[in-house]
Amino acid sequence: MKRFVFVLSLLFFAGFALLRGQGVQVTGTVTSAEDGAPLPGVSVVVQGTTIGAVTDFGGNYSITVPDPSAVLMFSFVGMITQEIPVEGRNEIDVVLEPSALELEEVVVTALGMTRTEKSLGYGVQTVESEEISTANTADVINAINARTAGVQITSSAGTPGASTFMTIRGAASILGNNEPLFVIDGMPIVTGEGENLETNRDPYSTGNTSLSSRSIDLNPEDIASMTVLKGGAATALYGLRAANGAIIITTKSGETATKKMQVDFHTSVGFDQISQVPPMQRQFAQGNNGEWVSGFQRSWGPNVDTLQYDTTTDPDYKWDENGMIVGQSHPNANGIPVKTYDHYDFFQTGMTFNNRLSVRAGTDAASYYFSVADLEQTGIVPNSYFGRTNARLNSSARLTNWMKVSTNMAYSNSRATQIQTGSNTSGVMLGLVRTPPTFDNAQLYEFPDGTQRTYRHGGGYDNPYWTANKNSVNENTDRFIGNAILNFMFTDWFSASYNLGIDTYTMQLKNIVAVNSRTAPPGTIEERDRTSTQINSDLLLNFEKSFGELDASLTLGNNFFSTGWKEVWGDAYGLEIPGFYHLSNSSDNQTGTETDDKYRTAAVFADLQLALMDMIYLGATGRNDWSTTMPEDNLSAFYPSVSLGFIFTELGPLQDNNILSFGKLRGSWAKTANIAEPYNTASTYALASALDGWVNTGVTFPYQGVTAFDVGYTLGNPNLRHETMKSFEVGADIRFLNNRLGVDVAYFKNTNTDLLLDVPLAQSCGYGQIYQNAGEMESKGIEVSANARILEGQFKWEVMANFTQIDNMVISLAEGVESVFLSGFVDPQVRAVAGQSYGSIYGWDWYRDPDTGETLINDDPSDALRDGYPMTNFLHVALGDINPDWTANLTNTFSYKGVRLSFLIDIRRGGLMYNGTASAMNYMGTHERTVNREVYYTPEGTIDFDKTPEENLVVFDGVYGHVDADGNPVSSGVENVTPVVLDEDWFEGYGSNFGNGPSLFALEPTDWLRLREITLAYSIPVQRRIFQMAEVYFTGRNLLLFTPYTGIDPETNLEGAINGQGMDYFNMPGTKTYTVGVRLSF
Amino acid sequence: MKKLSFITHRVLKAGLISALAAFISSCGWIDTELNVNPDEPGDVPMSLLVPGIQQNMGFILMGNNSVRTTNMWMQLYDGVSRQSHSEARYQLTPADVNNYWQSLYTEELMNAKILTDKAVEEGSPHNEGLGKILTAYSLAVATDLFGDIPYSDALKGAEGVMQAKYDTQEQIYNTIFSLLDDAIAKLGAAEEPVGIEGDVIYGGDAAAWINAARAIKARAELQLSKQNGTTAYNNALALVDAFSSSADDMEVPFETANPNPVFQFMQDRTDIRICQTWLDELESTNDPRIPFYVALDENGEYTGSEAGAENEAASYLGDYMAGNTAPVVLMSYAELKFIEAEAALMTGDADRAATAYKAGVAASVAKVTGAANQEWLDANIETETGGTITLEKIIMQKRHALVGQVQPFSDWRRTGIPTLSLVIGATTTEVPRRFPYSQEEIIYNPDNVPSYGTITNRVWWDQ
Repeated sequence: MKRFVFVLSLLFFAGFALLRGQGVQVTGTVTSAEDGAPLPGVSVVVQGTTIGAVTDFGGNYSITVPDPSAVLMFSFVGMITQEIPVEGRNEIDVVLEPSALELEEVVVTALGMTRTEKSLGYGVQTVESEEISTANTADVINAINARTAGVQITSSAGTPGASTFMTIRGAASILGNNEPLFVIDGMPIVTGEGENLETNRDPYSTGNTSLSSRSIDLNPEDIASMTVLKGGAATALYGLRAANGAIIITTKSGETATKKMQVDFHTSVGFDQISQVPPMQRQFAQGNNGEWVSGFQRSWGPNVDTLQYDTTTDPDYKWDENGMIVGQSHPNANGIPVKTYDHYDFFQTGMTFNNRLSVRAGTDAASYYFSVADLEQTGIVPNSYFGRTNARLNSSARLTNWMKVSTNMAYSNSRATQIQTGSNTSGVMLGLVRTPPTFDNAQLYEFPDGTQRTYRHGGGYDNPYWTANKNSVNENTDRFIGNAILNFMFTDWFSASYNLGIDTYTMQLKNIVAVNSRTAPPGTIEERDRTSTQINSDLLLNFEKSFGELDASLTLGNNFFSTGWKEVWGDAYGLEIPGFYHLSNSSDNQTGTETDDKYRTAAVFADLQLALMDMIYLGATGRNDWSTTMPEDNLSAFYPSVSLGFIFTELGPLQDNNILSFGKLRGSWAKTANIAEPYNTASTYALASALDGWVNTGVTFPYQGVTAFDVGYTLGNPNLRHETMKSFEVGADIRFLNNRLGVDVAYFKNTNTDLLLDVPLAQSCGYGQIYQNAGEMESKGIEVSANARILEGQFKWEVMANFTQIDNMVISLAEGVESVFLSGFVDPQVRAVAGQSYGSIYGWDWYRDPDTGETLINDDPSDALRDGYPMTNFLHVALGDINPDWTANLTNTFSYKGVRLSFLIDIRRGGLMYNGTASAMNYMGTHERTVNREVYYTPEGTIDFDKTPEENLVVFDGVYGHVDADGNPVSSGVENVTPVVLDEDWFEGYGSNFGNGPSLFALEPTDWLRLREITLAYSIPVQRRIFQMAEVYFTGRNLLLFTPYTGIDPETNLEGAINGQGMDYFNMPGTKTYTVGVRLSF
Repeated sequence: MKKLSFITHRVLKAGLISALAAFISSCGWIDTELNVNPDEPGDVPMSLLVPGIQQNMGFILMGNNSVRTTNMWMQLYDGVSRQSHSEARYQLTPADVNNYWQSLYTEELMNAKILTDKAVEEGSPHNEGLGKILTAYSLAVATDLFGDIPYSDALKGAEGVMQAKYDTQEQIYNTIFSLLDDAIAKLGAAEEPVGIEGDVIYGGDAAAWINAARAIKARAELQLSKQNGTTAYNNALALVDAFSSSADDMEVPFETANPNPVFQFMQDRTDIRICQTWLDELESTNDPRIPFYVALDENGEYTGSEAGAENEAASYLGDYMAGNTAPVVLMSYAELKFIEAEAALMTGDADRAATAYKAGVAASVAKVTGAANQEWLDANIETETGGTITLEKIIMQKRHALVGQVQPFSDWRRTGIPTLSLVIGATTTEVPRRFPYSQEEIIYNPDNVPSYGTITNRVWWDQ
């Protein structure tokens, strides 16, 4: 009420103030107490009047006060407002102190607009530079993993340069891109392309090599802050490009630096080791049915304790330097017991050297920030490598009091050597974990004649040492990201800016498959050149005006955006000169092709923000977009948003309350959208080829001296519409005890309709799919963030915690389409299924009692199957989903004098992953689970319970039953008590998904509790004359991991940064990292 | 006023800079021509459709999946590892035939339909005839494996028919006959302006295509022997003169840069070997084709893998089926001779049967080995007379001649020859008699896919 009266009286007196005529001119400069830099944009108001001014870029102001006894109010976001009586002076310089209240913290929102956090009607979260810098991850995305709520990040592997998959608030698109928009200093950049390389010569293998996500090109050290914009209202101004949320990155500048040059140097060295791996048995040798078989695929041979070497029978035996393996009673046995090997010795300690140097300075007129950095990383797999060199120059100059020009320019070179992974015959883990314990891969991988030494005598899979030493994918990316920004401050209420930027890179990729590699025995070389260019132009007009206690700001804008890449690809198959990796090196089998992907958009937009009495904040935005990828009569779409923030602690009775020190309720609604991918409005013809899923290369054209085209698999669609996302969010930000304790709670619900996807068709219609508006998805969730300063003073203890629960449902797909494939195999598959969570796992199950769902245990002696075992039902049914029920993270930071200890605990609950690696290892007889295999039979062929060790006997849970002639399950309802053994027949049949078993029992929970990061830092007391700051620190990542998942670190994905997550099939293991670093400022 | 003009000055100056930049960048910015796919044409001539269809027929329809699976079931080959071992043990799931079904409809049949439609539109009866033959051939192979399949309602996705109804196998066979009759008429029509181009099978020779159409028809007539009896044999007999020598054989060629599908399979997967059952049959007469059908094992011997025994040390497939540039045979003179032999025998003309049988074996031996092998023929084949010839002898020799094709599986279903025992570790109680429908067809065309029970059930002509 008091405020309301005040507003009324203000309005009343305002009229008088205008009538008073000429007064006294006061000028001065406003600077920041933090660093002495001038503060532009500070509001200067004569108390009790509407007379006001704003400081220019030099922090200068000039104001006419009605009388010498007036009081001037200087206010600026993030600073404590000062009231200074004029007292007859003509010149008043002011130093503003930063506000202790975190609420006054300025956050960067869409289009680089800065706002106080308290004024927002939607949730944002910011990660600061120090957290990013200390994490020391090559890809900056990994540094913010588990630091926010609502953001899910999955690194595909622990190898250098591996891709990273990121979503904000779940998936918004079914088959399209779900990665957020990255904006760096106002310039949207390319961050995706982190899918695995599936070579054109081997399109049916899965995994291959994990290419880098292009976010890896950024130098994390350059980042001043990263703000995560989550909801539709936060990103509405980005229009169609930010349907998946946005990451707003601000790089460092010299503007806040003092005139004296500041030099920062940061160096660190890190060590990577493999974290957990699937355990292997070392008790049973290569072979079949308990017999040693040289070169055999599997390890179901004899107990190694019964074996010795034989160097007599075949003196030229080349597969083992110790000789052939024979039983100890063999006449030629030489008495030397057979050795077993730890195949994981293959992995090495990876090392990372990271050096970063920056220089910055600023004056009233100009400022600059210049940095260089170099990262050199060798991985846990021999010869894997990632390196990056960065340089950046950010500079700004105030040309006049009302005009400023800034430029940000960054160059990077990223280079990686990736090693084959996943489900292909050259995959490192594939060859490694299938190797029998008695075969030493390390002995030799290449014979003098150039052929390969593998445990399958040259067939089967590559020796992992062969893969690591002979085959590689080399990526080299040169990139430039830069923009120029003009800022105009015409008057205290009208400013404008123009931001023109470019992000362009060239990626060169060479994929080498040596002669005698299993993937392509004749050898092949592949060369890809990709050029990507993205251009962005933003024009913004800002109007700001205060009407008493009502502050209004209006932004009008225009955007032009163009993005596209072109890839030229060539390969040579059948290398005439082994070791010469050049496209010319094939006599008759070279191919080449090109791929383009380009589109443009244009937009106009408006943003209106109203703030009433520092209590009610109302925002509204509208944006209209045009895109070239849409059909001609449907180019445009309009996206509105509204948001409201209500600071209820500004209400009279709640003001100045130390217990409940701050409280805000907020709500927002937005409609955003997404456009079609290019080239989908018409059917086309493509170069013909034939491939059937069984061979690596297939046939293509030219062939028999002619070329050919065939009609595309996708039916063109001229009726495409925009995807629409309606997002709704409510939240509360409440702080207690002078803001020592704060809790932010948000509930959101996003509804995506008309989702564009390649809808699979029954191929009998002549086409495999049609791109159309079909899907509907909904994601809703709760995010809670809390922070507390538990102890203050000399010994400080701060806690930050985040909790996320997201439910991402596929409501419907196209008519007649119940599910679409995201990734996987024949069994299992990750799919989007109508009525289920996004990322359902489908696959084979056991036959079950039709009424109770209990597993049927075979009791029909007349069929070919063994009694006492469950039976696979080769039908795809829902088996679970890949998504966590919730995730949480907790950071504790303790500091005492110069010592700081912080640790980040990351918890994930729920979600399944396909442990295909373990399943295949069971089939192969190499997994530790297969060690209890010995069984003795009576002459009648039943298990001899006296001889067979008790630990080898198993009784399956279930009821007796069988499958009748029509394929229907028949249950007896009687509980199974038949003991059986998990022997070779079992694991090669229904006991392994690699045999004929269902994937159901290869699915494992991925719950985890991990020590994501621990940092111990010590600031050395320094001689101020030389150093301003010196710090040494130790950081460990993933040092502890508790998970029921029995394979590698479950933070992984087979195919890299794609929507179909949850697949582990010979993926590269994750890593633990130990880093020591030193930071110096002088 | 002074202040205002000051502002105006600033606004003008800044506005000019910005407007200029915006103008430069906006000229034709939203240009819908940008959405024309630069990598894929919107239309292509008939001559560029023909070789694509034919290559697919060679590589997929008659190249790999259908051939490997059915030859394992017929115990000509054995699958010794991985998925091939599963298939050899009669495990073939709907998902396993996805790729085959996809190629059948979206490649062979769809592009053949476009070719046929274009030919009609552009007034090219020869291309129309070719399109119909390629369609009829693909339909015949497909229906023999799957039974009822969509055709009359199929391939109409662009017209909005996304879920095609299925035709019965009887209807499909009627379609095959009418397509072939029509093709024979069209190919016999007068010289045309366009002509067949891009034909990698017969080099655009219309007369050769007429012969091929008649040969395919002969096989189709015989396939209905269980349903049509004598009529089937008589109809076939009227067509068996379609080819006059192996030089007329309908084959899809392969080359070093685009190698034979089974060659590629053996190079990349290696999971198939020669089956002991078949090797025993060949060795019983010391067949001269053995070195071409069976590769030597590591010990320099011919060994088979007992069906289902996973004997990886057994012999690989020989170069006739798995050579780098071995062609894929779609229809052969030898097959026509065996059709003639069977049809003549079943209609009471045993002498003609014996003569045709001898010609069939001789043609096959000469084609496979490149030599007449008269001595072996004299000792083992030429002794046959109208009095000694049997259906079993005809089908067994036909099986030896048509190895690597799908027809031995059809002949076994028609005649029960040879008698096959179950493979070791069989997952069904009988040898399968059909393929399942593809998983994707079951999911995306659920209302129309017929329920087929299990893969041991019989298609219409097998009943």
